[in-house]
Amino acid sequence: MSKMMVIARNEFRTRVRTKWFILTTLLGPVALIGLFVVVAIVGINSVESEEQDVVVIDESGLLFPHLLHDQIRFREATSHPDELRERVLEGDYDGYLVVPEDVATGGTVVWYSASGGGSLMNGELRGAVRSAVRALRVEQQDIDPAAYSAIMANIPMDSVQLTQSGEERGNVVAYAVIGGIMGFLLYMAMLIYGSVVMQGVMQEKQNRVVEIIVSSMRPTELLMGKVLGIGAMGLLQMTFWAMLIAAGSMLSGLVVGLFVDPASLQLPSTATNQEVLAAMNFSIPVIEPLVYVVFVVYFLGGYLLYATLFAAIGSSVEQQQDAQGIMLPVMLPIILSIAFMQSVIENPDSTLAVVLSLIPFTSPIPMVVRVAMIDVPLWELAASLLLMGLFIQGAVWVAGRIYRVGILSYGKKPSLLDLARWIRQA
Amino acid sequence: MHPLVVDEARKQYEDTLAVDNVSFEAQPGRILGLLGPNGAGKSSTIRMLAYITTPDAGRITFGGEEVGPGTQARMGYLPEERGLYPKLKVGEQLILFGELKGLSRREAKDQAAAWLDRFDARSWVNKATNELSKGMQQKIQFIATILHRPELLILDEPFGGLDPINADLLQSVIMELKESGCTIVFASHRMEQVEQLCDDICLVSKGQIILQGTLNEVKKRYGRHTLEVDYEGKDAFIDRVAASGGARVSQRSKRHVQFQLAHHTNPRVILTDLLRDVDELIRFELMELPMREIFVRAVTEAQGAEAAVTQAGGMA
Repeated sequence: MSKMMVIARNEFRTRVRTKWFILTTLLGPVALIGLFVVVAIVGINSVESEEQDVVVIDESGLLFPHLLHDQIRFREATSHPDELRERVLEGDYDGYLVVPEDVATGGTVVWYSASGGGSLMNGELRGAVRSAVRALRVEQQDIDPAAYSAIMANIPMDSVQLTQSGEERGNVVAYAVIGGIMGFLLYMAMLIYGSVVMQGVMQEKQNRVVEIIVSSMRPTELLMGKVLGIGAMGLLQMTFWAMLIAAGSMLSGLVVGLFVDPASLQLPSTATNQEVLAAMNFSIPVIEPLVYVVFVVYFLGGYLLYATLFAAIGSSVEQQQDAQGIMLPVMLPIILSIAFMQSVIENPDSTLAVVLSLIPFTSPIPMVVRVAMIDVPLWELAASLLLMGLFIQGAVWVAGRIYRVGILSYGKKPSLLDLARWIRQA
Repeated sequence: MHPLVVDEARKQYEDTLAVDNVSFEAQPGRILGLLGPNGAGKSSTIRMLAYITTPDAGRITFGGEEVGPGTQARMGYLPEERGLYPKLKVGEQLILFGELKGLSRREAKDQAAAWLDRFDARSWVNKATNELSKGMQQKIQFIATILHRPELLILDEPFGGLDPINADLLQSVIMELKESGCTIVFASHRMEQVEQLCDDICLVSKGQIILQGTLNEVKKRYGRHTLEVDYEGKDAFIDRVAASGGARVSQRSKRHVQFQLAHHTNPRVILTDLLRDVDELIRFELMELPMREIFVRAVTEAQGAEAAVTQAGGMA
């Protein structure tokens, strides 16, 4: 076995046995799922909580009979607004609604409450008022209620995407979510595993073991051994999470159902989860193998690129604080690519998205997002990977030179200029 | 069974010339003492021997082969600043170091077990290094250095932090390795250890060799000018001898005095003189200079000479 592999295996074996690894691997998704569950439970409870008590000051004298909601109890005002105000503040009512005289022709309905109302409450109330006003208008315009229902019936719409391979697929939102999750995972991978490498290199220098190791092997082999070992650890962690995500996506329907308001789909609020999903035309998104392949390739590429540079930084300093200043230029592109992720998702074909996904330092996140969402032209993928490969070689070269000098330099905190000099010297 | 040959090696760091055309040889079955004050270029030299850095000019060979990855596998290096992976278990640590020297996992494991036995440390095999005392870590570090039976051994202050019993154990292992034909370079500031262990001496100061040869040669060169006297009784003679200009007092304690004699001084004169004062003469011995004294003199002379040259240069 080559010495580089000895180091890689040692890194991998010792790291996957640490508490840190076991905890983050197991608890990472648990914490995430826990968060989802808490949000969902809170959401459900606020919807299904006790009846809301709403007083209506109906200046039009027409709307009140149309105000109907199974969780909101509307009662007509019998007292002066000032008194209502007092009683709302005291908690006797949840709030009061002032309906203007010209409500049918565009007058503004105002909702007064002590809490401002949660977004769910506001949504429910808004839905009830909207239905009531429309019913009133139908009545005033002398429209046949049956005709109205026919007009307002749910309009299903599908999004079908044309792909190079001739296949068609729907569910743009789902693929955007998948792309987003993958992009975010890459972001975490590059940043977290990169800093694990940096820490490791720094510790070896701090406890001086590095001098003994480099009396047995070339510094660059040591550097790459560490990077590969920690990379293998990262890949294991990611694979475990990916399997969980795959399992989770099969249950995603359930989760989506919890977060979608039936009213927005013109469904009664009593609609079951299945009905909601059917109305949304939601199906479990199929992830093409290519997407996985691209994800793994860019995970490895992005990790190699950044981890070698982080290792170089780690070798040049003796303590964490000293690394901050030098880290910024390396971290900037990662931060940039995550900052632009939203706009790439919104418009995966834009020039910005294409350019970002070609430049090696920013390419992993945008490219994975794009591949998850659309058919990226093959030449773009090829060019991006080629550039990535070249930059990795460059990064290994630069990092190797900094590392060789860095691991034996103690005493003063180096500047970026010092690092540049080391590269020339080594 | 190979000599280590350093031929005109030179190493420059930014604006300091750390090693300035240094040449020396270390022979198999012998221990070369690499000495010098702090910052003299010892560490820079050692790093080149270990192929951690490479000389800017000159050649370093071991058994005719230029120092490089090939010689690294046959070399054991114990740096002055010790380093082990703090959380790795002792056994795994040793196996890792063994594998990095080209042993198979199996061989590394067997060697580790054998050496741990030898150092009475078998029970530590599953302990993390940071649970061990400093002295214990020191032993593990030494085992890691010799696990692969190196032909070239570079030891920088190997006895630091060891109690006398463990220091003796370590010394006996070093002597065994020497007997078996290992080429050993020993760097230390502890001159009594150098005197005990080394066959050859190489003293560097400011990147240059200022004294070189076998220990005996070097000592002979400085001659028998040290006089040690142990006595009972009055000590007025000490001041008389010092005042005569024939000797300098280099050590003085109760009932003991050490003189450094001037070249022309006849020790017989001092003996006659002191017999007038002392009640009982316990020891009167004319000795070679201790290594410590040689070190101090050589370095002071070299630096003095250099200062003179600089001054002359300044005036010219």
